[in-house]
Amino acid sequence: MPEEKGMANLMMREVFGLTLAELGGKHADIVVIDGDLNTSTRVVHFKKAFPGRFIQVGIAEQNMFGVAAGLAATGFVPFPCTFAVFATRKALDQFALSICFPKLNVKVPGSYAGVPTGKAGPSHNSLADIAIVRALPYLRIAAPGDSNEMRAVMQTAYETEGPVYFRVVRYALPDMFPENHKFEWGKGDLLRKGSDVTLFGTGLMTSRCNEAAKILEKDNIDAEVIHLASIKPIDRDLIADSVNRTGCAVTAENASILGGFGSSVAEVLGETYPVPLSRIGVKDMWIESGGIEDLFTHYEMQPQDIAKAAKEVIRKKENKK
Amino acid sequence: MRLTLEENKELESIAYQIRRLSLQMITCGQWGHPGGSLSMADIMAVLYFHTLRVDPKNPKWDGRDRLVLSKAHGSPALYSALALKGFFPIKDLYSYCQIGGIEGHTDMRRTKGLESSGGSLGMGLSIAVGIALGVRFKELPRARVFCIIGDGETTSGNIWEAAMSAAHYHLDNLITIMDYNKVMAKGFVWEEMGIEPVREKWEAFGWDVLEVDGHDIDAIADVFYKARWIMPRGKPIIIIAHTVKGRGIENCEFNYKWHTQHPSPEEADQMLKELSRRYGKPEQGYSLLAKNKKGCD
Repeated sequence: MPEEKGMANLMMREVFGLTLAELGGKHADIVVIDGDLNTSTRVVHFKKAFPGRFIQVGIAEQNMFGVAAGLAATGFVPFPCTFAVFATRKALDQFALSICFPKLNVKVPGSYAGVPTGKAGPSHNSLADIAIVRALPYLRIAAPGDSNEMRAVMQTAYETEGPVYFRVVRYALPDMFPENHKFEWGKGDLLRKGSDVTLFGTGLMTSRCNEAAKILEKDNIDAEVIHLASIKPIDRDLIADSVNRTGCAVTAENASILGGFGSSVAEVLGETYPVPLSRIGVKDMWIESGGIEDLFTHYEMQPQDIAKAAKEVIRKKENKK
Repeated sequence: MRLTLEENKELESIAYQIRRLSLQMITCGQWGHPGGSLSMADIMAVLYFHTLRVDPKNPKWDGRDRLVLSKAHGSPALYSALALKGFFPIKDLYSYCQIGGIEGHTDMRRTKGLESSGGSLGMGLSIAVGIALGVRFKELPRARVFCIIGDGETTSGNIWEAAMSAAHYHLDNLITIMDYNKVMAKGFVWEEMGIEPVREKWEAFGWDVLEVDGHDIDAIADVFYKARWIMPRGKPIIIIAHTVKGRGIENCEFNYKWHTQHPSPEEADQMLKELSRRYGKPEQGYSLLAKNKKGCD
């Protein structure tokens, strides 16, 4: 394992792979199932450390999720490891019926989640995974915001009885949390206190919300930033309490805005404290092949886009008065 | 290995009861799959009352054999066998398909004795592969994993992903039984989608293949013994069980209309009487049992 501080410069997939190998050393019941992607997902670290608990199934994701169910039913804690797009599209029925319905103890990392995946296009970029799996009962969903949180999410996922889905991005993220950061289901983190607008981020987009808050500060706008790594269950109290004070909100997710994180927040707002809301993320469209930052710009997911959306919702709030 | 005459008689009687209970619970629930339940009644009788090492008093015993019913629409036959074996009271069967009662397909969290949840075809063999790997990791060399698949179910790609991986991992603790009743939901298998040559396909995927008359109690017991103790040599084993869809009720036999159709209480009465005549038992219809049933009218 590299030094903890060194993790900050690593891509999240690397942090995931190293942490999985570390967890594997502590817990003999962890088994990893691979679909011919171990050097991409970085479960290669686990493969090297524990070849006897590493199961290769080839490009057969439906089988992968069924095998995971069987291993969980026998008392193991399987991690079926593939890209988010395959886990939630190719193996959805198995994920739902063989794993979630019987509430089996399977931990599903969705690798290469969202925009920063490379130039492969819609076959490999997963934009709909949050929306797809959010409707599966018993499933808990998380999108960690930095390296330390990735480690915390994986630790909590292992300790949580039942199915878990968490997103892993092929992207390095700035540090937001200390090394001893704890992740708790249904608990968000208030990162920046503000009074004019709340920026709700999940996964890699929270650091962009932090950047947006700095931009807004220059225009004398005081933005609150809340990180919601736990997408399901979501911290309803923190959401409602924040907008009760700020009166408007922006959500930001590394995914489609349809049915995912922004929709979750919108549901809470609609049921508790309706306020003007704007959702940042990929709109109703398939992704282009392109450079990572070019794509973030193309889909209006840069900090300045979040800041712009914040100003719009503040204007709507003012108009309502 | 031969059964004694007494053992054979006992298992025939169990198969009779599985057929009766399956029809009754389907009639109670006014939903279910009679054809595929009746076709595997004899297999279920031999499994639970001769072959499987399971303990209803200790259903989670680590060293047990595990059965995954991949063709989970045949669940009435499985539920009936589990109830007769003592996993839960027989009266529970009559809560079939009612809220809070026994699930239409299979729900392992709800019903004692189930090893998987299912209903979407093609998925169970993968679960069985996972269990067989788990059983091996746990070093339980006497435990076997049985998986019952349908014939039409082998038109699903997931089955062949699972088949390939079972051979790759040399899972000779995995015994798959194909209930080859020749009829799918909407017609004969060969009309819907040709699955032959079945034996050659499984052999090509690296499996050892056995065939049996799936209604011959002696032959079924013998083939299960072979699969457990004689055959294992580093290859998964499939038993192609040649059966009759709807076996036991003449009007249902090889009749795709009884894949899902449920009988009315009047039809069930006739069916159960026919069944008792066919087994040489005292004639017993549906109404006679109505007194004992719970959760249905």
